[in-house]
Amino acid sequence: MSKLRVVHYINQFFAGLGGEEKADVRPEVREGKVGPGAAFAVALGQDAEIVATVVCGDSFYGENMDEARKIVLDMVKGQKADLFIAGPAFNAGRYGVACGDICKAVSQELGIPVLTGMYIENPGTDLYRKHINIVQTGNSAADMRNAVPVMAKAALKLARGEELKVPEDGVIEKGIRKNIYRETRGSQRAVDMLIAKLSGQPFETEYPMPDFDRVTPNPAVKDMGKARIALVTSGGIVPKGNPDSIEASSASKYGKYDIDGIADLTSDAYQTAHGGYDPVYANEDPDRVLPVDVLRDMEEEGIIGGLYRYYYSTVGNGTSVGNAVGFASEFVKELKEDGVDAVVLTST
Amino acid sequence: MDLENQQRVKDAAEKNGAENIIVVLGASEAESAGLAAETVTAGDPTYAGPLAGVQLGLSVYHAVEPEVKDAVDADVYDEQVGMMEMVLDVDAIVKEMTSIRSQYSKY
Amino acid sequence: MVHVCTVVPISLTVGANRIVPAIAIPHPLGNPKLDKKEEKALRRQLVEKSLKALQTEVDGQTVFEG
Repeated sequence: MSKLRVVHYINQFFAGLGGEEKADVRPEVREGKVGPGAAFAVALGQDAEIVATVVCGDSFYGENMDEARKIVLDMVKGQKADLFIAGPAFNAGRYGVACGDICKAVSQELGIPVLTGMYIENPGTDLYRKHINIVQTGNSAADMRNAVPVMAKAALKLARGEELKVPEDGVIEKGIRKNIYRETRGSQRAVDMLIAKLSGQPFETEYPMPDFDRVTPNPAVKDMGKARIALVTSGGIVPKGNPDSIEASSASKYGKYDIDGIADLTSDAYQTAHGGYDPVYANEDPDRVLPVDVLRDMEEEGIIGGLYRYYYSTVGNGTSVGNAVGFASEFVKELKEDGVDAVVLTST
Repeated sequence: MDLENQQRVKDAAEKNGAENIIVVLGASEAESAGLAAETVTAGDPTYAGPLAGVQLGLSVYHAVEPEVKDAVDADVYDEQVGMMEMVLDVDAIVKEMTSIRSQYSKY
Repeated sequence: MVHVCTVVPISLTVGANRIVPAIAIPHPLGNPKLDKKEEKALRRQLVEKSLKALQTEVDGQTVFEG
């Protein structure tokens, strides 16, 4: 049997092109393996060969999804691939979304087996888990040594036409319902489960309730001219010097900052603390992430009742869901107490 | 280990000969010390930097290890490292560093 | 609340109900290629769209495009 032709998709960072300042690079194809491809080559062994690596900037993909998807698909098509592997992306949000998106497209358009890997909290997980197989990894590249062998093994299985099993093959549950046969009737099983539950015995649900985590939309603001609007951001805009030392990644805190009397955020007084996007533009003019200048104008013109005196800021780069929920639950209380009517939340 | 430092270590090893280099680390935890040590011996385990797949096999130690402590003037060491020596998990660091060295250091 | 963000699928997946697509990841409410005046006008447009979203009744998740 001839070797499987594998195409690998990675971002600008793992291709050694650079960090955030290179996140806008357009897709390019390189021959053979690049970066982590070397680890995959070892793990895949003799049966497969990485014939090409597609490199694409995370921001390019995130900001131009349709175009990027099409370009990358054409590149993969051109390689006559038997198997497609993306990432692993760990907890890098844009990277995870790109990996998930391109895997889904390759699977649908080219009909070849696809596999990617990322951390459970990566937004790419929830977006794409139903469509493709995603191996669960740790939350940083330090997990590369564990992630690659698991991914390689799973990828080879897929290439052989085998199905991947949870949890043995390390993939995240797809959440797709499958019809199966059972010996006992549903009514019997349900009653057995109920009796177990009532008597405090262990039981296993046949259908775990999905965690939708949705909220009912709030009613619209009736009178904007009287409304108090607050600004909140995950873009990490903080007073220059980052006095609260909000971390560039995996923030453990948020800041509350007084903009009373401030009509415009400037580079000498403010900066971004966020380590997950190219900071150049935000540092030049922080209004590009937190639009204080415009809202101040609107306040003067009477379009809004007022811009709330404080803004809340954290860094949304790899911030744990738990922390994000915790921060907001806390400061929302203050917003409500101070009569804030609506929030404009900006993210990068 | 960040990309710039990986490149610096790579250049230094190329310029001076790997056997003539010792890398001294100051990481605050065993895990990060281990990652950096692995990077300059077996290659960047995250495959993100210039030392990806490059096995320099360098001699590498952490500042709190006895080999470094004993090679330095006691007063100077106390002044520069004494404080950190008290707050770091020295045993864990020594264990991790020893493990990496025994597996990957060539010199 | 209105969420001004670039990668709309992420906002949808985490459950925002009023979403306004932003310009780019490193400058959601700006464009360094424009001159200062034009850029502020662009930012103003986006904020106006956001305020409009806040004043619009919605049943479920809604993306306020173009």
